[in-house]
Formats: sequence, C-alpha cells, structure tokens
Amino acid sequence: MFSLFIENFRISLSAVLANKTRSILTALGIIIGVLSVTLMGTLISGLDRSFESSMSWLGKDILYISRYEWFSDMEWWEIKNRPRLLPEYVDKIKERSEYALAVAPVMQRGASLSYKEKETRTEIFGTNEDYMETINTDIVQGRFFTSNEDRSGSRVTVIGHGIKEAFFGEKDPIGQYIQIDNIKFRVIGVLEKQGKFLGLFSVDKQAILPLGAYKRLFSRRGWMRLSVKIPEQKIEEGMDELSAVMRHIRGLKPSEKNDFAINQTKAFEKQYNTLKVAIGGTGVFITLLSLIVGGIGIMNIMFVSVKERTREIGVRKAIGATKGMIMGQFLMEAVTICLIAGLIGLFFAYISSIFINKIFPSTLPIGLSISAVIMSMVVGVISGFIPSYQAANLDPIDSLRYE
Amino acid sequence: MTLISLKDIYKIYNVGGEEVRALDGINLEIKENEYLAIMGPSGSGKSTLMNMIGCLDTPTSGVYEFEGEMVQVMDDAQLASIRNRKIGFVFQTFNLLPKATAQHNVEIPLVYANIRKAQRIQLASDALDSVGLEDRMHHKPNELSGGQRQRVAIARALVNNPSIILADEPTGNLDSKSGHEIMDIFNLLHKKGNTIILVTHEDYIAKQAHRTIRLFDGKVTEDAKRDS
Repeated sequence: MFSLFIENFRISLSAVLANKTRSILTALGIIIGVLSVTLMGTLISGLDRSFESSMSWLGKDILYISRYEWFSDMEWWEIKNRPRLLPEYVDKIKERSEYALAVAPVMQRGASLSYKEKETRTEIFGTNEDYMETINTDIVQGRFFTSNEDRSGSRVTVIGHGIKEAFFGEKDPIGQYIQIDNIKFRVIGVLEKQGKFLGLFSVDKQAILPLGAYKRLFSRRGWMRLSVKIPEQKIEEGMDELSAVMRHIRGLKPSEKNDFAINQTKAFEKQYNTLKVAIGGTGVFITLLSLIVGGIGIMNIMFVSVKERTREIGVRKAIGATKGMIMGQFLMEAVTICLIAGLIGLFFAYISSIFINKIFPSTLPIGLSISAVIMSMVVGVISGFIPSYQAANLDPIDSLRYE
Repeated sequence: MTLISLKDIYKIYNVGGEEVRALDGINLEIKENEYLAIMGPSGSGKSTLMNMIGCLDTPTSGVYEFEGEMVQVMDDAQLASIRNRKIGFVFQTFNLLPKATAQHNVEIPLVYANIRKAQRIQLASDALDSVGLEDRMHHKPNELSGGQRQRVAIARALVNNPSIILADEPTGNLDSKSGHEIMDIFNLLHKKGNTIILVTHEDYIAKQAHRTIRLFDGKVTEDAKRDS
C-alpha cells in the first residue's frame, strides 16, 4: 500500500501545482486560520514571558497602599475625596506592624533630565532608603542613598541603566552632576538593567531621589503610595494587619468603610488572565471561522477537481483502481492542499514572530505550530470526504464516456 | 480452456418509463488465445457487451463466468482486481493521463497491483519495448503521435500480463497507416498467445480476427469462425 500512498501523493502534488493560483486562493482560509492561531500563541507566549518578568520586578511579597484599588471601576471623584497618604504613615506602620519588613513611600512625576547638552524626559521617583527592598532590582554601580541623606534633603540621585547609557555611555557616572528640571543632583548609584514593564514602558529610564529633596523641590502635595514588604508566606495575614493599622491611623470607626486600598500583584494576575482569555478567545474564534470558510473552499474546489477528472477516474477504475483507491487519491489531494496551506501559514507566522519578537520578547510555540498543521490536515480530510466519496462511487462506464 | 462464458445475459435499462434491452439474451463462450471481433451498428449493444466482459458493468440477469468464477457476485475490490490483473483495456480515445510520461502511464496498473517501484520500472519499460516505444518512454502524451499514444495504451494494457486484451475501436481515431501498425501489434500479441477481443465497425479490422460476432438489437445474429 505504500507505493499507492506515494503515487497518490505524487498525483496530489501535480494536481496542486498544475492549478497554483486556484489552489492558493482556495487555501487562503486555511492559511489565515493557521496564521491566526499561531500568532495568537506567539502573542500569548510573549505576554506570559513579559508578564512574568514584570511581576517579578514588582515582587509578589510587596503590598501597595494607595487611595484606589487597581483595576476597579470606582468613580474618580470618589477616589479624589479620599484622604491623601502622608509620609508620616511610614513610621506609624513600622511602629505598629509586625509583618512589615520595609516600608517605602513613593511619589512620582515626569521631569526633564539633562547632562551637558543631552536631555531626556523621564519619570522621577521620590522615596526613602527602604525602597530597594521593595523592588527586585540591584544597584550595579555606586550605592543607594541613606536615611540621613533623605532626612537632610540631599540632592543625590540613583539613575536607571538607560539614563546612564544615554548620558554617560561607558564613562563612570558616579559623582557626576545631572540636572533634574534644572536643579543639580549628584549621581550616587546606577540600577541594574531591567527591560520593559509589560512591554509598555522602560523601567530603565528613571531617576530615584530621596523623598525629602523630592518634596521640597518638586511636589509638596503630590500623590503618594506606600510599598510595604511582607514575608512571602504571610501575605494574607500581612494584608489584614496592614488594613487594621491603616484604619487605626485614619481613626475610622468600625461602621466606616476603608478610605484607602491595599493592592497586591495578584490583582495584575487576575487582570492578566482575563486579558489572556480575551486574546485566546478572539484567536480561536478567528481561527475556527477561517478554517470553516477554508474547509468550504476546499470542498468546493474538490468537487470541481472530481468533475474535471471524471474521465481520469473512469480510466483508473478500468485499469484496476478500487473505490477505496480513488477515494484515497482525492482525500490525499484535499489533505495536500491543506498541508501546503498550513505550512504557508506557518511560514508567515514564523516571519511575523521574528518581527513581534523585536517589539517584545516572544517565541512561536512549537507544539501549537505542529497542532495547527495537523488541524489543517484534519480540515482537509473532513472537507475532502464528500467529494472523494462521490469520486469513488462514480460509474466507470459513465465516467469513461464523460467529455 | 474457456476464459469467458456468458449464459442468457440480459441488460435492461429503463429510459423514461420505456424498457430498453441493451443485451437481449446473449450466450457466448470465448476460449484462450481466441482472436475475436465484435461488430454491429451503433446501438446494437456491442459497447455494453464489451463493458460486461470487461467487468465494468454487471448484467440485469444471466450468468457471467470469468475463468470459471461468477462475476455478478463479486464485490468492488474483486472486480477491480480482475480488471487490474486479467483484463487489459485499449480505448478508442487512448485515455492516457495527460500529465504523466509514457513510462508513468504504463506503471499505473502496477501501482494498483501493489508492485514495488524497481519492478514497476522494469515491467513498464519491457511493455513499452514490446510495442516499439523504448525511445519514447519519458515523453508525455501530447509529445506523441496518435499511433504512438495508442501504442502506449496497449503497453499499459499488457503490462500486468492479462488473460484478455479488450480493445474498443482501437483504430477509430487513427489514420490508416497508424491503424495498420496497431493491428500489426494485435496480430503479434495474438501469435504470442494473448486472447484478443476487438470491438469495431470496420470490416478490414474485423478480417484480422479469427472469429466475428455480429450484434443487432442486443442479440447475436452471426458467430462466424475463420481458420487461420
């Protein structure tokens, strides 16, 4: 039977090649189907990867206290009416909380950085000496500022790797002065290279200043959040305790609702999974739709192919082909078209994935690629079945007379 | 040895409520190494008889035995196997596959007989050799003359070493010179021991055969033997 299989494959290839344009147009649905499912997979794999590294940057053992819940649909005025978080909370939390290992207040705004004639816009952060414990990043050069420097309002700064590269290249930045909104700051440290957060913005382009200096020079009454480090196994307890501490600080009565929010990275995960389901669902929907359309196209062209080759079918039967052999030949043809279409789709997906990889790191999932090609062949079998069955059951005498 | 035995064969079609008897009680025996011509005007039933003998068609009633085996009880696979191994068809319009070379066309019956590639190539080139086309093996049908195409078709019919060669108007689409060449091949095959059945309406073709059957309205009207 193997030689028959080879022969059928040879017939199929020559039939497909003899009608290149027709075959490709027919196969377009399958091509798009395979392309969409594999690109969706690539996208999700890339999102997974960037999400994971972003999450590890945020840290799973960090709680974030701010005025609003992440991803909530609270009205803006409601958030605005909540009281601000104040720098003195830091000491109060440290005093009352058992679980808090580190508490860092964080204020943030956009600012213009310059060094000699080089200038760039970026985010600056005002915080305290605990900050390094609440992020998963190390200092690669120099040091972080001390609590004394914070309290005395020293104009020192720790810069992100991207700023260092842009301003200093290979030179040593430590001890150099840069200008933040035209105020001189001394560079005392450089953060390790991080990459982009969720593929959106680079965390390497930042400058961190002591909160004392930040508040005095840039923003007396800006929004502040608190990052609190908790032992990793004690997140739930830490959250409850922190909530109680905050209620105490705020002097809330038992009947009053919280006027602050404690967030953790789980909120991101939940949000992210929703996004993933949405992308996956859309991808699967587009794929199914194009495979159905593609399958109908294949069926249609197979009917044409059977019609065109009626006489050939008659001859083949006269010289000894069984119904099964004829059926196999046409099924093989449908599967071959689909296989070629699947491979073309995969080829385009591969090319696209190279470009996607340039925007954010991702790979074409191999398992998904193989299943996509197998899936397109299954479409070939399904859509080729009725035309092949029809071909197999043609009357040999009528087919031989067919003009 | 009797190869083919037809007893009281009827083939009745129902065309628009009217009964058409394409074969109307045929009794016929064909022995090994016979050279038979079936003649008759169009509509006489000679094509139907041809298809019946070739196991492409089954009778409405009657008994058809091929090498002693009842054909009408066979399933598709058994019929296909008989057509493949025992019968070689030659058609008026050649019916070669246009995209395949002569060599490949001749190989097809061997593919269905599940013979391996190396042996297929050998058998196919032997068959093409025997019809004098050893130098045209890799030509496609549209690169061959009508006579050459029909010779490829004969090679294809011969390649499985069948019991019978069934030829339906084999010279009908050829000029007389090519026609004579084709008839020379049939004569030679007969001398080598093949059984040959020709359907024709041309007397000069029928004269080559040693036995002539005339059909009219689905009945045998004449069965004449001629000593060779």
